[in-house]
Amino acid sequence: MPAVFTLLIDSFLAITALGIAAVFLTAFLSAVPVKYNLKSVYIRWRSTLATVVGIGLVVLVFVLLQSLAVGIEKSNASTGDPRNILIARKGATAESSSLVTRAQLRTLQYFEEIERNAEGDPVISADVLVLASLPRIGPSGEANVLLRGVTARGMELRPQVQLVAGRWFSPGRREIVVSRKLAGRFANFKVGDSFKTGPALLTVVGWLDGAGSAYDSECWMDADESRSLFEREMYSTFLVRPKNPEAATNLIRRIENDKRLQLRAESETGYYRKQTLTAAPIKWLAGFLALTMSIGAVFAAMNTMYAAVGARTREIGTLRVLGFHRRNVIVTFLLEGILLAMLGGALGCLISLKWNGYTTATLSIESFSETVFAFTITPVLVGQGMFFAAALGFWGTLLPAVRAARLPIISALKSL
Amino acid sequence: MTLGGFILKNALRNKRRALLSVLSVAVSLFLFITLQVALRELTQPPEDLGSSLRIIVRNRVSLVSPLPARQLQVIEKIPGIVAVTPFTFFGGLYKGDERFTSFAQFAVDPVRVKDVIIDAKVDDTEYASWVADRTLCIVGLDTARRYNLKRGDRMQFTGTFFPCDLDLRVAGFYHGTADDRTVFFHQRYLDEALGNPGTVGCWWARAASPEDAALVTARIDQAFANSSAEVRAETERAFQLGFISMWANIKVLIGSICTVVVFTLLLVTVSTMSMAIRERFRELAVLKALGFRRRELLGFILAESFGLSMLGAVLGAGGAWLLYRNLDIQKLANGVFLAFEVTPRMMGMAFAIAALLGIFSAIGPAFSVARTSVVEGLRTLD
Repeated sequence: MPAVFTLLIDSFLAITALGIAAVFLTAFLSAVPVKYNLKSVYIRWRSTLATVVGIGLVVLVFVLLQSLAVGIEKSNASTGDPRNILIARKGATAESSSLVTRAQLRTLQYFEEIERNAEGDPVISADVLVLASLPRIGPSGEANVLLRGVTARGMELRPQVQLVAGRWFSPGRREIVVSRKLAGRFANFKVGDSFKTGPALLTVVGWLDGAGSAYDSECWMDADESRSLFEREMYSTFLVRPKNPEAATNLIRRIENDKRLQLRAESETGYYRKQTLTAAPIKWLAGFLALTMSIGAVFAAMNTMYAAVGARTREIGTLRVLGFHRRNVIVTFLLEGILLAMLGGALGCLISLKWNGYTTATLSIESFSETVFAFTITPVLVGQGMFFAAALGFWGTLLPAVRAARLPIISALKSL
Repeated sequence: MTLGGFILKNALRNKRRALLSVLSVAVSLFLFITLQVALRELTQPPEDLGSSLRIIVRNRVSLVSPLPARQLQVIEKIPGIVAVTPFTFFGGLYKGDERFTSFAQFAVDPVRVKDVIIDAKVDDTEYASWVADRTLCIVGLDTARRYNLKRGDRMQFTGTFFPCDLDLRVAGFYHGTADDRTVFFHQRYLDEALGNPGTVGCWWARAASPEDAALVTARIDQAFANSSAEVRAETERAFQLGFISMWANIKVLIGSICTVVVFTLLLVTVSTMSMAIRERFRELAVLKALGFRRRELLGFILAESFGLSMLGAVLGAGGAWLLYRNLDIQKLANGVFLAFEVTPRMMGMAFAIAALLGIFSAIGPAFSVARTSVVEGLRTLD
């Protein structure tokens, strides 16, 4: 069923694209100058303005919603180092629900695929992830925040994360470095503040910045401190750096095949790229709204264009008498409708740019914690918005244009 | 010809335009109702009789941190509590689901849970067989229908939070709660699968009366203050609202979409209506010349636009009401939405918007008609 549905939508889009392309192509070959359309639009500006703005708003809603989904996806796609391998428990769907043991850590340490640092130690970090429910700023209740317990090695493995204020936490102390972007959303997240989670009082000693990655939604503290504070016997995940790409492939295969370990390894970037559950419902909403609002917009466009055809009956008759074909009339009206709609689309896209980069947050379905992301309006998205507008113009003008072409010449000339 | 007939004739003179106007109003109001219903569904969870009595106790750190099983004895003795059961969210994946299963599985104490979830109706023999065998489960009727489950069927779940899988058989079904989708199984089964860690996910308790609930939650919080596992006790309502607040800006988002939809609708309809009037400028001038007063002309225009937008409201809002009443939304939305109920308040709002729409779109043209002199009007060609 969904496959058939997708096929249907795809073929519909393809027909629309072909139609629009044909209109543009013939318009440039056709004898009716484009100038005629531009002037007609200009003369009737009052009645067309409402339709243009209406289409603009439809495109605006579509682009903004899509930009949210793109923002979430981009934040995930730009997380991690392609050289790193993330190792989690088999079956765990998120880092925070994974549990790995000290025994597994000891086993992994002797794997020769893993890089050694200058001191000859394997480059492997065992992290502890704890979800803490903390109060937001203002009256909007509490939300879960991801607290990552990291080691010095773990920080080296994630060069994306930089300190932007204060200092890093010192091991063995109840100190925490919070994301700067979360600091704008949660109470007591300023440097120097402290907050209580469970039995522990944690002091904020610095702000971190994850350069637009998923780390922007995390708070970091010392791994051992986190384990003792939250009474965690086990770690959550391992992050390792293999010696080279070949060793990485071998390592993934070796862990996969080792029945004792019960672990799953994959590249860190690959793991984050697969986190698509949160963006999916937003995309669905964008699609649903685009569909229903576009039906309304097409009706509105049809109304405007029918009125345009009605008001210009004599003009059309004149064009036909001058020797223009029916198809010229169709193309000229279609072009006018599409241009109008694209004007609206451009307006919508332009307004949407105002939100570009604006940071917002929601609950990540994967990590079950507050995830920060930005409205991200890409050229592709603007292109989609413009195509959407052109499609509205095309379908809204098709019937009025056909009607214009089928007007009998004599009576058209006689009409007032 | 009566005045009413005159207005009706005028409204339907350009049938295509009337139809398109009515349809665009209808589509927009349909969308408005749909968004309102979705918003209500996401922000106001359904309730049943026991909702105001139930208390949920979770770890103060967060919902996913476990609680020590030994807390049971303490909670039981707190005055005002009638019953308490462990309530551990398993969050497993049911067959075929790769990343997300829409119904929950909870590990409970089968004897105690009966006094906590008092709305659930279970067949006595089915219930007795469930209590007796720890590998059995009780399944909500909605889930049972959706997957066509019968007594004795196997249900297997792959653990995501927990490093173990479940292999259960269906003992029977329950119905009568606000959400008949959950699968209940024995906490003891989970304990054994995990090697008896001595923890549970949450506690669910029932207070003696709704008035007691606030007092009881404070007592529970107090009982574990400064222990290694501090708790947060809340009524079910407060718990659900807390859960919803984690979605952050969703309410603002859907609210602003509704505003944009209504605004777009207003814009387009106003323009269409004024188009219809402008086309008839000469006629209106003739009517004026015949002695009709401004007031009456305004009445004609208003009645026409009002009628069209109301017809749109009847089609759009009424259509949404009919559709969502007869649709199996649970199946369609993959369990994300439960009831999808259109409330009288939403219908009222839709009709109020339509009324405003009718009035607003009449104002502009009515003014220009009133301002124009008869001679000017008669001279107009377009």
